[in-house]
Amino acid sequence: MSERISQLESAIHAAACDGRIPEQVLRELAAAAGVDLLVAQRAACRVGVWPARYARNARQLSIQEQLALLESHVLLVGLGGLGGWLLELLARLGVGSITGVDADRFEESNLNRQLLGNAGNLGQSKAEAAAARLAVVNPAIQLTAVPRFMDEALCARLLRGMDLALDALGGLDCRLSLQQAAARAGVPLVSAGIAGLTGWVAVVLPGQPGPVQWLGAGPTGSAATPEEELGNLAPTAAAAASLQAAEALKLLTGRPPASGMFLFDLMDGDIQRIRL
Amino acid sequence: MRVNVKCFATLAEKSPPGGVCQVSKGADAARLMQILGVPAAEVKLIFINGVAAEPDAPLRDGDRVGLFPAVGGG
Repeated sequence: MSERISQLESAIHAAACDGRIPEQVLRELAAAAGVDLLVAQRAACRVGVWPARYARNARQLSIQEQLALLESHVLLVGLGGLGGWLLELLARLGVGSITGVDADRFEESNLNRQLLGNAGNLGQSKAEAAAARLAVVNPAIQLTAVPRFMDEALCARLLRGMDLALDALGGLDCRLSLQQAAARAGVPLVSAGIAGLTGWVAVVLPGQPGPVQWLGAGPTGSAATPEEELGNLAPTAAAAASLQAAEALKLLTGRPPASGMFLFDLMDGDIQRIRL
Repeated sequence: MRVNVKCFATLAEKSPPGGVCQVSKGADAARLMQILGVPAAEVKLIFINGVAAEPDAPLRDGDRVGLFPAVGGG
């Protein structure tokens, strides 16, 4: 295997032009070496060649940082409003392995904000839709799609070996148990919540407090949650997911994440970071 | 004294005109919520000048106070 990889690296080096290699060429070299595209993208980075699809990352990321992203495995819990946009952003950044969890299927009321839902896939499982989207956007990414509700045992099992977890859950009720499970597993978590035009995003490092400890588990009984009262809009979901993805990028490349909690209100353009 | 108040999401309708509220000297965040008619149970996070605070935190003239409800949609 290692000889095959070093031959692949040499072939990539020879085929590169201006320090880049087009995806089609990389795909052919991967097939000749009997490896998948992700392995070939990583090999390219190791020999200092940018897979062309990531070339515009190069002014912001070193090639070692791109390689770190390609070698990362993240757990994405929820593939709805936040999760759909997050999956898109992670795939375009080149986060190599993603385990995506969601038991839901698409319904029409999701279409106002959920990137993975469309007129043609109503009724489809969100996990399946995630696989279909990645195949179109960045086929190198390895997705483990888990069409199941997150319970404690599944959560603990899926967190094992993860570099990072992303909380893209809807509602507050399950978030604290995810945060606690991530802390037990020693996995950093990037959490977010939205309602109407308001959102928050926070990095929760293992053992540190997170916003859900203040926000609670949501109302009991028939009381409406803020998101039920205000609904959710696409720009809010996309903005929160963007901030989450930026924190994920920093955590996965060893840069310091933003501390505290971002709050934003897209109605008046107010964005602030508070200390918990 | 005057404090600047920002009420988020479902609490936005309780924001004072111009985002400014007049409170008596020595008032705390709980008193401010009372004046604004914001039910304390709906406020999950209070922050004063960008730092999380408790309801009994005393306010000072010119403070920026934020009131945040249980926002958790996704």
